[in-house]
Amino acid sequence: MTPHQERTGPGAVPAQAAFLPAPEGTKKAVTDFLKTLMDQGGLDALLVPVEVPDTPFHAWVMVKKSEVLDKAHPLPPVMSVQGGRALSSLTKHGTPWLHIAAVMRPCEARAAVELAKLKQVRLDNVVLITIDCPGALPLAEYVADPEKGQERYKTVADTWHENEFLRPACARCHRFSLTGLEDGPSEGPAPDDAPASVDIHIGLLGEDQNGILLLPVTPSGAEILKKTGLEADRPTAGWESRVRDLLKKKKEKRQAAHEEFRKDITGLDRFLTVFDPCINCHNCMNVCPVCYCQQCYFDTQTQFCTSSVYMDRARKRGALRFPPDPLLFHLGRMSHMVLSCVSCGACEDACPVSIPVGKVFSWVADETQPAFGYSAGTDRGDPLPLQNFLKEEFCEIETPSACGQAQSTEVKENA
Amino acid sequence: MSDAYNPRIVGFLCNWCAYTGADLAGVSRARVSSSLHAIRVMCSGRIDPLYVIMAYLKGADGVMGMGCHPGDCHYLKGNYNARRRFVMLESIFKTLGLDGKRIGLWWVSASEGKRFAQVTNEFTELMKTKGPNPFREEMFI
Ligand code: SF4
Ligand code: SF4
Ligand code: SF4
Ligand code: FES
Repeated sequence: MTPHQERTGPGAVPAQAAFLPAPEGTKKAVTDFLKTLMDQGGLDALLVPVEVPDTPFHAWVMVKKSEVLDKAHPLPPVMSVQGGRALSSLTKHGTPWLHIAAVMRPCEARAAVELAKLKQVRLDNVVLITIDCPGALPLAEYVADPEKGQERYKTVADTWHENEFLRPACARCHRFSLTGLEDGPSEGPAPDDAPASVDIHIGLLGEDQNGILLLPVTPSGAEILKKTGLEADRPTAGWESRVRDLLKKKKEKRQAAHEEFRKDITGLDRFLTVFDPCINCHNCMNVCPVCYCQQCYFDTQTQFCTSSVYMDRARKRGALRFPPDPLLFHLGRMSHMVLSCVSCGACEDACPVSIPVGKVFSWVADETQPAFGYSAGTDRGDPLPLQNFLKEEFCEIETPSACGQAQSTEVKENA
Repeated sequence: MSDAYNPRIVGFLCNWCAYTGADLAGVSRARVSSSLHAIRVMCSGRIDPLYVIMAYLKGADGVMGMGCHPGDCHYLKGNYNARRRFVMLESIFKTLGLDGKRIGLWWVSASEGKRFAQVTNEFTELMKTKGPNPFREEMFI
């Protein structure tokens, strides 16, 4: 057995939450909450998707004005720019001197947490707020026919993940709610001292559908909620059990999808077929929130050889594809960031030739992160696997093994 | 056939240990497999996982990473980092159905010339039994 660090586990689910009635629907209630937050929460501004006037699109906006907030909502029909990326562009080069809250989908917040560990986001003066996410629509389909998209999206929130129009990443997303819930013990409360990833979570799956729940996840989240005058007096147990039910179903669906994909893709030939249509545009990398490098190797000239090298290679192989090494781009990118992949699906949303990039990456992520007891974006306190190590671990990978004497004799006997 | 077939192996050797060990193997006239193409790196912690994948996709039959024994890294923790990177690589290979046994990590000190020869030869033999890396012939990668 490989010794792993103890998982610190997910943030505790608060036993009680504030309740905000939603006589005009939850969408309006969420917007109302954002306005209350702005007016009384002691915040200077919010970073949140806002409807661009006269278009069917939303853009990330840092906003203070109440009338702009009327058009703000963390659940636009599509994910155009991943929220982690938006927050990174705002905070990368210094702690914000305004006290802001970023309101986003769970996978976006997870990306923000990964980026904070990679020093691409500063969370010091940022309150992270997430919301139960029913999913988003495929970007390309929405752009082709926004009206139809908006109609479809209306049904998404009613069906909670049983919707045929969802993006594939959302259809098999099991991290659509309070971050950490999905990786924690399936029963019983998480330990109190477990660090959380977000400060406040907006629950849409509560028992009482005539309102929304506002969960104070961290002490600073609780303080902000208190300032808004909302009393945290509703039990969250009903919400939690509904989320867990859905979670279970989604997890099964995800595993089944992975299994099916494994049959489709493993082995050299079939693996190559998946990436064959790639046109080398690097969109998948450019939109991925955790692909943050300022100068990516795959955007440099260093990757190219002199023509004589290529001629030589082509001669030896009998034929060679150009531009060279498309698969190297995908596997190389994977080797750099798969431990931080948050399964947000932004990559495949951006692929012009419909390669299931996100499916491949999130599958490999699901198989690889657990080897390190890691789950990307779940826990702010959990260091990145590659920035951390134990002196004695993973002895099976090294020769000779550095683990204790007893273990290494065992290895010898087996060999 | 297996006698004629000589695998091509790319080795990333830490300057402070395995690379010196390779030198020592040469000086002490140990027989080292001619399959190994050694690339010197300043520390096993400098073996970008991308290098391993690149060597593999470009047709290397095996890829060896070699560094100082744990506790002996000149930069203190480079080899511990390398170990985790190889764990990640192996998991990626395994998941995608690629042959993870074609890559590996060894600790070889500067004084272990004989051992350097031994592990290199053993790995070469193993790669001989596996035959050529299927990517070697692939035109569409
Ligand atoms: S991947 Fe999950 S959290 Fe992200 S948009 Fe889809 S359902 Fe929501
Ligand atoms: S690889 Fe794709 S799914 Fe994973 S974080 Fe990047 S954009 Fe999201
Ligand atoms: S977005 Fe699609 S076509 Fe473009 S590089 Fe990525 S996989 Fe290839
Ligand atoms: S110096 Fe040899 S492994 Fe780091």
